Amino acid sequence: MSEPCISVIDDDESMRSAILGLLRAAGYQATGFGSAEDFLAADDSVRFSCIVSDIQMPGISGLELKRTLAADGCDTPVVLITARSEADLTDRARESGALCLLRKPFEADSLLNCIDKALAG
Amino acid sequence: MQDGAISFLPGENGCYSAVKPFARDGGTVNSRHFEDDILDLMHESIFTRALDGRILSWNKASEQLYGWPKEAALGRDTHEFLNTECDVGLDAAQKTLSDAGAWEGSLARQTAEGLEVVVEARWSYLRDTNGDPVAIAETGTDITERRRTEEALRLSEHRYHNLFQAMAASFWELDFSAVDEILRRVYRAGNTDFPRYFRDHPEVIREMMRATRVVDVNDETVKLFGRDGNKEELLHNVDPFWPQESNGDYIAGVLSAVSGANNYSVETKLRAIDGRVFDAHFTACYPPDTMGKGTLLIGVMDLTARNNAFAALDRMRADMAHAARVSMLGELAASIAHEVNQPLAAIATNGAAGLRWLNRPEPNLEEVRTLTDHIVSDARRAADIVARIRGMASSRAPKPVPLSLNDVVSETAQFLRHEIKAHKAELNLALARGLPMVMADRTQMQQVVVNLAMNALQALPQGPGNSRRVNIGTGLQGGEVLLTVEDSGTGIADAHLDHLFDSFFSTKEQGMGLGLPVSRSIIESAGGRIRAGAGTSLGGACFSIVLPAFGAEAETCPLA
Repeated sequence: MSEPCISVIDDDESMRSAILGLLRAAGYQATGFGSAEDFLAADDSVRFSCIVSDIQMPGISGLELKRTLAADGCDTPVVLITARSEADLTDRARESGALCLLRKPFEADSLLNCIDKALAG
Repeated sequence: MQDGAISFLPGENGCYSAVKPFARDGGTVNSRHFEDDILDLMHESIFTRALDGRILSWNKASEQLYGWPKEAALGRDTHEFLNTECDVGLDAAQKTLSDAGAWEGSLARQTAEGLEVVVEARWSYLRDTNGDPVAIAETGTDITERRRTEEALRLSEHRYHNLFQAMAASFWELDFSAVDEILRRVYRAGNTDFPRYFRDHPEVIREMMRATRVVDVNDETVKLFGRDGNKEELLHNVDPFWPQESNGDYIAGVLSAVSGANNYSVETKLRAIDGRVFDAHFTACYPPDTMGKGTLLIGVMDLTARNNAFAALDRMRADMAHAARVSMLGELAASIAHEVNQPLAAIATNGAAGLRWLNRPEPNLEEVRTLTDHIVSDARRAADIVARIRGMASSRAPKPVPLSLNDVVSETAQFLRHEIKAHKAELNLALARGLPMVMADRTQMQQVVVNLAMNALQALPQGPGNSRRVNIGTGLQGGEVLLTVEDSGTGIADAHLDHLFDSFFSTKEQGMGLGLPVSRSIIESAGGRIRAGAGTSLGGACFSIVLPAFGAEAETCPLA
């Protein structure tokens, strides 16, 4: 099996590049997308072992993305992140089948733990 | 009666005739007609009466004065006939005549036509050769007109005095004749541009103030400018009452007077004798008749109370605007948290990544440098957001400055970036180029645009398939700067249209109902108008604001 590759989807460019930087520093391969649409349009989206996605984005949200993937029979683990503070987001994330929900700002180790769990899964 | 004057002596038939004194020496010139002719030539009314009051002679001037022909007058009782009234009383006048041999004073009488005349009269005894009084001569002048004029003048002066004293305003009578002299001197020295000259020579203004003499002031002036009810210390010159900062207003008044204006008024600051400076409305009248005498009348109203009330109102408006801003920030709390969390999360993540690169056996400093650059720029971004929020939350007094409305709209769009995203809405900006500036407080204008944009966002229809658009546009309308905020929402119900700008009117569950009334108060303070309407290209509500253009164009680009 090749080196696990992780996709990072966030419309906030600085956040996206920060996560990509962290993953690189932790020894992962990672690719960034500015929106869920861009990710879905990529023809090699199946090569990703894990998806890290922001929830709140213009167009398709992180939650919708997870549901879309599940409907297509794709069970790539999804780690959701959000800068919003609504309490019901935790439940909605769980219901969508996402593996974790992280609230910004989060500890880098929390994200890496989630990713480890996803890749181990 | 003096020697050489005509005297009256008893003649035939119990009548008295006027005879010349010299006749005693040179024989009687017994010509009654001749004497009557002389009397008839006199302009004064002259008649004689017996000691019992019966009229004995009656000249032409008496006929003219009283309207009675001689035939009607002769033999009548004087006072009954003429309905005589006397200020001091007839008895007293009679007594003076008896004691001193003459009486002078004014009498009120009635003419044949029933009109009242006032006569300045002089009574003297006519005496026989023994020196005993035998008759009374009365000379009289009609002073009715003079009395009437005097009375009118007295009433007018009384009214003026009443106005001067009793009005609830401070009045001053000033003598500025010496100021005229100074102006002439300045002019003769070749200074024809007075405004400029006085800007450069404040000491000459002071000299003119010292030369402006205070003739009189009323009680209200003593109350307003004096201390301990002392009027005397105000009656010198006007120098103590003009603080330095009001020099320009004083000189403008002087120049307006010499330019032939009728009056001059200005809102300025004046100083009481104890040094207290206060806001005042100063009015000078230059009536031609008193100007000729070198005096003029000044009225001063104390504006302290009015201006305090205005200031309190301004403070209350600013407080209301602040309360509405804080309430608005509350509504935006989730958006704000989101916006601040974004760079914070990036910073934390970049920091953690940097540590990993550093903690490697061979630290990768190039990666750390890149990450640190990102940290710095994210920190700046977070600080900018906080600064924007702090501006909105601040309660400092509004400060109108020249603003580009386009800048305000762009800043607002930045501020609402996340709110727009959260509403899954599309914001379109159509900003006209080359717009003039407007004069307004930046924070308050941002507040208005944020408020209108949030209303628009909240009015957007829910559910998929619905158009969710907000247009914000700027432009010129009849020389004024126009801002419109349109949405594709459901529009405004007709029943609500009249109440939109009422305080505490809200159709939203969370709304305080302060947003629009406060927006209106802000726009109106800036001299503009705000209006709500429907029928936009987007189909929803449309709010439009017009503000007066201020000065030169904001941008020099030609219209695209």
